[in-house]
Amino acid sequence: MLHVDSLTKSFPLDDGVLTAVDDVSFRISPGEVFGLLGPNGAGKTTTMRMILGLLEPDSGYAEVDGVRTATDPMAVKSRLGFVSASDGVYPWLTVREMLLYFADLYAVDATLAEQRCESLADMMDIKHLLDRRAGELSTGQRQRVTLVRGLIHDPPVMLLDEPTRGLDVVGVQTIFDYIDILRRGGKAVVVCTHRLDEAERLCDRFGLLHAGKLKYCGTLNELKEQTGQASLVDIFVDLIRN
Amino acid sequence: MCQKELRETMRDRRTIITLVMMPLLVYPLLSMALNRFLVSSTAGTSEQTPYTIGVETDDEGSLLLAWLEDPMSTPPAAILKASKGNLATFRVVNTTSVGLSPKQALQEKKIDLAARIEPGNPPQLRLTAFNGDPASQGAQRILTERLHWLRLARAEALAESQLSDYTPPTDVSVENIGVAEKPSMLGTIVPLVLVLMTITGAVYPAIDLTAGERERGTMESLMASPVPRSYILFSKYVAVVVVALLTAMANLLAMFTTLWAGRLLPLLTGGEDAFPWLAVLQILGLLVLFSGFFAAVLLSLTSFARSFKEAQAYLIPVMLLSLTPGMLSLMPGVTLNGPLAIAPLINIVLLAREVLQGTAQAAPAVITVLSTIGYAAAAIAVASKLFGSDAVSRTSGQSFGAMLKRPTRSTPTPSPQAAALTLALLVPIYYLVSNVLMRIVPELSITWVLLLNAIALVLTFGLIPLAAVVLARCNFSTSYQLATPSPLALLGALLVGLGAWGFAHESFVLAKQMGIGGLDVDRIEKTRQTVEALKVAPAWLLVGTLALAPAVIEELCFRGFLFTALRKVLSPTRVIVTTAVIFGLFHVVTGNMLLIERFVPTTLLGLILGWIAYRTQSVWPGVLMHFTHNALLNLATKYQDKIAFLGEGFENQMHLPATWLIVLTTTTLTGLAVVWFSTRKPQVANSNLATTPA
Repeated sequence: MLHVDSLTKSFPLDDGVLTAVDDVSFRISPGEVFGLLGPNGAGKTTTMRMILGLLEPDSGYAEVDGVRTATDPMAVKSRLGFVSASDGVYPWLTVREMLLYFADLYAVDATLAEQRCESLADMMDIKHLLDRRAGELSTGQRQRVTLVRGLIHDPPVMLLDEPTRGLDVVGVQTIFDYIDILRRGGKAVVVCTHRLDEAERLCDRFGLLHAGKLKYCGTLNELKEQTGQASLVDIFVDLIRN
Repeated sequence: MCQKELRETMRDRRTIITLVMMPLLVYPLLSMALNRFLVSSTAGTSEQTPYTIGVETDDEGSLLLAWLEDPMSTPPAAILKASKGNLATFRVVNTTSVGLSPKQALQEKKIDLAARIEPGNPPQLRLTAFNGDPASQGAQRILTERLHWLRLARAEALAESQLSDYTPPTDVSVENIGVAEKPSMLGTIVPLVLVLMTITGAVYPAIDLTAGERERGTMESLMASPVPRSYILFSKYVAVVVVALLTAMANLLAMFTTLWAGRLLPLLTGGEDAFPWLAVLQILGLLVLFSGFFAAVLLSLTSFARSFKEAQAYLIPVMLLSLTPGMLSLMPGVTLNGPLAIAPLINIVLLAREVLQGTAQAAPAVITVLSTIGYAAAAIAVASKLFGSDAVSRTSGQSFGAMLKRPTRSTPTPSPQAAALTLALLVPIYYLVSNVLMRIVPELSITWVLLLNAIALVLTFGLIPLAAVVLARCNFSTSYQLATPSPLALLGALLVGLGAWGFAHESFVLAKQMGIGGLDVDRIEKTRQTVEALKVAPAWLLVGTLALAPAVIEELCFRGFLFTALRKVLSPTRVIVTTAVIFGLFHVVTGNMLLIERFVPTTLLGLILGWIAYRTQSVWPGVLMHFTHNALLNLATKYQDKIAFLGEGFENQMHLPATWLIVLTTTTLTGLAVVWFSTRKPQVANSNLATTPA
């Protein structure tokens, strides 16, 4: 479903070059939740942006459903759903208007968009908010609106960038439920996070990024086997220290 | 997308304040202030308001009134006419009735003028006026003049009665011709205020739809959607232009209604009190243009900012910079010509002022419009480069310098943005260069004129696109379409060139007959002088400077650089038409003159050249055709006397003989057919171009 092959991206600095992502490769199948883990600055967001086509890789490629980002970025974008912790809303639009606007951006048929809007709102319990101005919503309500927004075009692949950042217990539980819905819906999901405890509960497989390199990739048991460590946290501490 | 941007902006109460509240409140208040200012500054100076003269005794008052009421004190008709037939009136008051001497009353500004009449033969009139008070000084001047007329008229009457042979030195009658120039301060302030209000209207949505989007955290989701960045930017651009325009319209309407209701319109238009619908519509057109330009400038700045505050920090200097040229336009004697016609903002303000006063000239107006469109295109190009680019979507700090850095990797063809920036530079530089040429040409020999013409061509249309290609690390061969064409394609182009010059000749003649371009006596004379000068110039010089140089430089610029850049975003037909129209427009503007008659033939030539470049995927057949066309046209002009035996058409630049036209048409059509058959549809190269990264 999602295939990332040898992605590399460097940024010029005043005193040299920073290789933010260095030869990163992984594959994700439908219904699988992949945790792209790493400390701040490990290259998670840069990888995500290259998959989304927001950044052009220096080498390597990302492929969704057999379509490469470099060859047909628009086709790839239309197959991807994206939710970020820093996602905002348009304060002067109603929730419905905002959702329909994004549906329009993804070229979803107007009638279908209305139907999806209703059903997703029902699923995420925001139906009563549909005709409220987005600027009037609470943080938790906004979070649920952005989660619905990411699904409005029913993408086969979902990318979630630090989805639990800044959320309270209820908010985090909402994300857990959401990812469960995605998994059951057969979507390939990438979750970027540095919250290893949450990742352990959420994800089926993990990719551990450090200084731009994908150090380990596999299920929790495979990683434990490879490293001889007892938990994701131990694996990570060991990785950073050595 | 545009609908969403507009809906979002229009719901924001900050937009509503700028859009509706400001014009509704500002203009009535301004009008009230202006009315008060006018009332106070013209009090007593108007012919309808009587001046008050203070005297100490009633006898003095009676004597003064008797003098003023004497018909002999009336000024001559010519002078009366100058003040629209109005005769100033005076009121004489005895100031002692309020316990003041006339001088004290004047000190307290209860009267305009103090008068005292000392008995004698003749009686002495002593006037006292207040320094710096326009009413007092006006009263003093008019009273002195009136009494002077009285003295003169009486002396003349006496002379006529006493001397039978008395004749005055002359009788004067006055006639006014021409359109009066009415330099009106209000005429400049109004466009300036409108322009500034338009800017105000555009600022908030520009920030909100770009930096605001980033601050709210919606930018990344927007960029992740499968819509090209340029589309997103364009929808924002449309929203900003619409809001700016609505603000402009609200201000225009509120301002003119207020001025009309306050009877201040004559101060603006210098004439009628009627509502100037036409001028308002013309100014609205200018504001559309200005909104388009300024919205692009604002978006190019705010696209870079990561927050509302940062955007505001960028915009404050721009607003201050915008005020400076605006203020310059208020200076007396500043008119829309020369470099001012290409100075952004000031040219619009000056043109709007001239439109209001009915003194607008076509050439500077066209230059203003074209240069503003050019600047708008350049600003949009910058905005599209910045909007949502790596620099802004990345979290690391970047600067404007990042945009100006040369790319590290080479690209096959220039970007449309580079083309827009190049065009924006070409318009003012070409205008300046051609103006300089026009100034020095009369003092130079024809050889120098032709050489300088070619040098100017190389410096503008040659070097500017070249600089863009080098800076963007574009491949020369693909950017300029330098591929080697097939010999058959070259033959076809040569045949088209051999035939097409006749059509250019015909269209010039037609334009002349139809009066297109308004060829006045002066222009016809200049054309005749040029033709005569060309006749004596050596043939090699004519061919080198008027055929070879334009063929190579213009083809590389228009069918090379511009063609490949636009090909990335436009269909072949649109590229051909766009480059042809731009090619035609550049040929129309020469110095301060508009050679409108050149537009049709050069645009037609541009269409043919564009088609050949598209078919052959090479600039060289076009160069050959352009060279042949220009060389034959200029040589035909040079040798028109010698080849007159071929037909009477060449004499006096009349239509070509029918046989010539048949031969030329056949040659052109054969050439076009050869080009058509020698080239296959260039699909492979198109797809290469279409996937070239911008």
